Parts: sequence; C-alpha cells; structure tokens
Amino acid sequence: MIHLEHVSKHYPPNIVGLHDVSLKVEPGEFVSIVGQSGAGKTTLAKMLIADERPSQGRIILGGWDITNIRGWEIPQLRRQIGVIFQDYKLLPNKTVFENVSFALEVAGASRSRIREIVPQVLKIVSLDSKAERFPRQMSGGEQQRVVIARALVHRPKMILADEPTGNLDTLNTQDIMDLLLKINAFGTTVVLVTHNREIVNALRRRVITLKDGRIVSDQAHGKYVLTG
Amino acid sequence: MITAWRIFTASWKHFARNAWLAVATIFVFMMALLSVNVLLGVNVVMDRVVTVLEDKVDITVTFKPETPEQVLTQARFYLTTLDQVRTVQLIPADEVLAQFRKRHERDNKVLAALSEIDRNPLGAQIVVKAKSPDDYNFLLQAIQSPQYQTYIQSQTYDDHKAAMTKIREVGEQVRFAGALLVAIFALFGLLTAFNAIRVAIYTHREEIAIMRLVGASSFYIRAPFVLEGVWISLFAFAMAASLYGVALVWAEPVLRPLFDGADPGIIAFFLDHALLIGGLELGAMLFLVVVVSWVAVGRYLRR
Repeated sequence: MIHLEHVSKHYPPNIVGLHDVSLKVEPGEFVSIVGQSGAGKTTLAKMLIADERPSQGRIILGGWDITNIRGWEIPQLRRQIGVIFQDYKLLPNKTVFENVSFALEVAGASRSRIREIVPQVLKIVSLDSKAERFPRQMSGGEQQRVVIARALVHRPKMILADEPTGNLDTLNTQDIMDLLLKINAFGTTVVLVTHNREIVNALRRRVITLKDGRIVSDQAHGKYVLTG
Repeated sequence: MITAWRIFTASWKHFARNAWLAVATIFVFMMALLSVNVLLGVNVVMDRVVTVLEDKVDITVTFKPETPEQVLTQARFYLTTLDQVRTVQLIPADEVLAQFRKRHERDNKVLAALSEIDRNPLGAQIVVKAKSPDDYNFLLQAIQSPQYQTYIQSQTYDDHKAAMTKIREVGEQVRFAGALLVAIFALFGLLTAFNAIRVAIYTHREEIAIMRLVGASSFYIRAPFVLEGVWISLFAFAMAASLYGVALVWAEPVLRPLFDGADPGIIAFFLDHALLIGGLELGAMLFLVVVVSWVAVGRYLRR
C-alpha cells in the first residue's frame, strides 16, 4: 500500500525533516507512527498526501509513484486517501451533510449517489440527526466524527489520521479510536500519526517510532518507545 | 453538467452564507462606480456650461441709418451662404429703436434726447452666430468686405473677443481636467474593487486550503469564488445604476435655473451613452473580478 524508499526531506538552511526513511505498509494494516515533536511525523504525513515533496528517495502509494507528482494529479491522489486532522479542517460555511458530500462532489459523484451514501456514513459516526448543523454548532468530538465521515465517504484505500485525538477528551478519544479500528476491520489501511502513548499502547498494532527524522524502531505489535 | 450546476449553487450558497462580506464588497464596488459616474456627470454639466457660454457669443453688426434695405438683405443673404455661420438675424432699424427705448425706459435724459430728433438715429443690425468659436475671426473679415464696410457703423465682436478667448481657454481646461479626473477616479475605483476582492478571498484562505486537501481540483475551488464575484458585481452595478438614476432625476430640475431654464442635458447624455458607459463599467468590473478572484484564490491553493 505504502512504500517509502530512502526518503529524505531537508529544509533550508540545513534542517532535517526526514533522513533516509524506508518502510512498507501492507494493505489493511493499522500502523501508528509515533515520536516526539520534531521527530518528522507530520513531514511524513504531508508527503503521503503530496503536501510536501521529498528531497531524496521515492514514495509509492498503491502502486502510484507520487515522488514527483504533478499539480493537477494531486486532487486525484487525495480522493483516494481519507485524511483526518487534529484541527478538524471542516468547511465553516457548509453543513455537516455538505461537508461530507463535498468529498464526493469533487470526485464527480451523482446527486442520487450522494443522497444514498452520505446518510449511511453519517449513521456510522452517529451524526445522522445532526446533518443540517454547521461545524460551529457542534462539539469537538462531533466535529472530529464529521471529519471521519468525510474521510470515509469516498471509500478510500487508506486513512491518514494526523493526531486525530489531540483536541479531544478521554471519552471522545476512545470513540474516535473505536471508529478507526472499525474502519480498519473493513479492510481500509489506517496510518495513525500520534504522540499519545496511551492510545498506541492500548492498540497493540504495528508501531513505527521516529526520532530526529529517522526510524529508530518498527515493531509489529509494538508499544510507544520512549526516545528522549 | 453536474459540476456546472454544483459550482452555480455553491456560489449562491457562499454569497448567502457570507452575506455581510458580500454586502460590504457590493458597497465598495458601488462607491467605485458612483464616484466615476458622479464625476462623469459633473464633467457633462461643466461641458454644457461652456457650450451655453459659447452659445451666448455673437457678432452684432450695426449699420448706418441711411443703409439701403437692399444692402441689408444682400448682407444677410451673403452671411447665410457661409459654411461657418449657424444663424443670421436681421433686426430692422425700427425694432432696434424699440429695443433701445425699452432698455432706457427709466432714463429720462436719453428718452428726451431721442424725442428731440424727429427721425430714427439708429441703423439696422445683423446678429451672426458662428458654428464654432474658431469661426468668428473669419466671419469678422467676411463682414468687413469693401462691399459692406462703408455702411457699417460698428460691430460688437471686439467687445466679446477677450471674453470669448477666456471662455475657450476655460472650456478646454475644464474638458481636459474632467477627462483626467474621470480617468483617475476610474483607476481609483478599479484599485478599490481589486482590494475588496483580495480581502474577501483572504478571509476564505483556510477554506480554500481545506477544499484542496479534500481533493477538489483548482477549477472546482476557484469557479464558485469567481462566480460569486460576478454576482457581487452585477448587484453592485444594478444598485449603483438605480441610485444614480434617481439622483439624476432629482438633480436635473435643480440644475435647470443655472441654464436659464434650458435642459442641462445630463439625463440625455447618460441615456444616449447608457450602453457605452454601462458596458464599459460592467465589463471592466467583471474582467477585474474574474482575473483577480482567479489569481487571489490561486495564492491559497498552494500545491
């Protein structure tokens, strides 16, 4: 599913974002990428959605070499990945229904398909009764569930969750993690970027630990390794 | 087809859900249009004032009282045939005397002096108006041809010459300054509108980035913003035109006394040039909105 070959990212003047990172993620895997602030987690996540380009190396996603992806190809790539952010990134002037359907609209889905699928996805995240609300009228946990619905709606092969529980309390964190596990159980690859030790340790899934832009640990059923 | 409809509805929803921003932008656009049009109106009025003043100028040729009727008729005919002449009016000696009496009806000394003379001491007059102020010098020379020179007692053109030159200078300056000011205000209006669009797009920069992250193409993100700008322009244009129309209807009767009750011609000017002025203003605004919105959204699209 994901294949990184000797990927490095340098920022001027001489800051190292990632250094010689190689890894493979198989379809259907649930992988946590952990590390302290500045370890390179977000840089790696940004490269997977072509928000950053590597300085060196190759990135292949689902058989597609996106190392030097062209500008007009980026929307096509992003329609195949569901992205979840810590700060939600919902469109403030669109309702819950419109936010979720937007991901389908940009891919050219028909109106009838949108009317059929969006309510189903909103039901999965238990927001079917709040479809006409605007993001500002919802709690943080609800907003994050809208983001998950949006990420899910076009049935992506991969979900990339960058600190999805960073702004949530324990109860909402558990809800979100349960949803991600449920999505993974249906066969979707999940890449979780986090620095939350409790979450990672509870998952008992593959854990890749980054430190100073390098992979220092890659365990199949790992735990959060303290790298400080 | 689906995409076009989605872009259309998205632009309207965006317009409605950001009503305050849309109203503020419409207001800025309206101010820009009104400032240009008000200046254009002032320019028209000034131009008309100069034309009216120019129209008041004429050459009045006063003939000697003993001038034969045949000479007067010939002189009038001769002047009428000249291309430079707009109107020629022959005032008979009796009418000139009547006008003189009326002018001096409260001046007893003048009236007494007149009654002592048993004949009309005044000669007939020919009043000539030229098509253009530039033509008066030629007409003056034409009138003073040897054929008529011996019968001419006086002519008033020399009295008006300095004033006419001044009016012509002022007229040219007013027209030039007016055109310059309209151009400056048009530029000012465009810059104001340009900035209003940029500010409006800036407030949506995060939204634009989110759309991009979700997989929207550049066109799909840009088009609703561009279309929303088009709606804003059309609203602003319609409102500015309505407001300006009402203002003109109110202003014309107020201006009429300045022109001795004549039509100031401001409404007529805007009606005659409605297509040209409206087309240019709306065209410039739409062009600006489309180009600036397209470029401004692009700044926040990143990759």
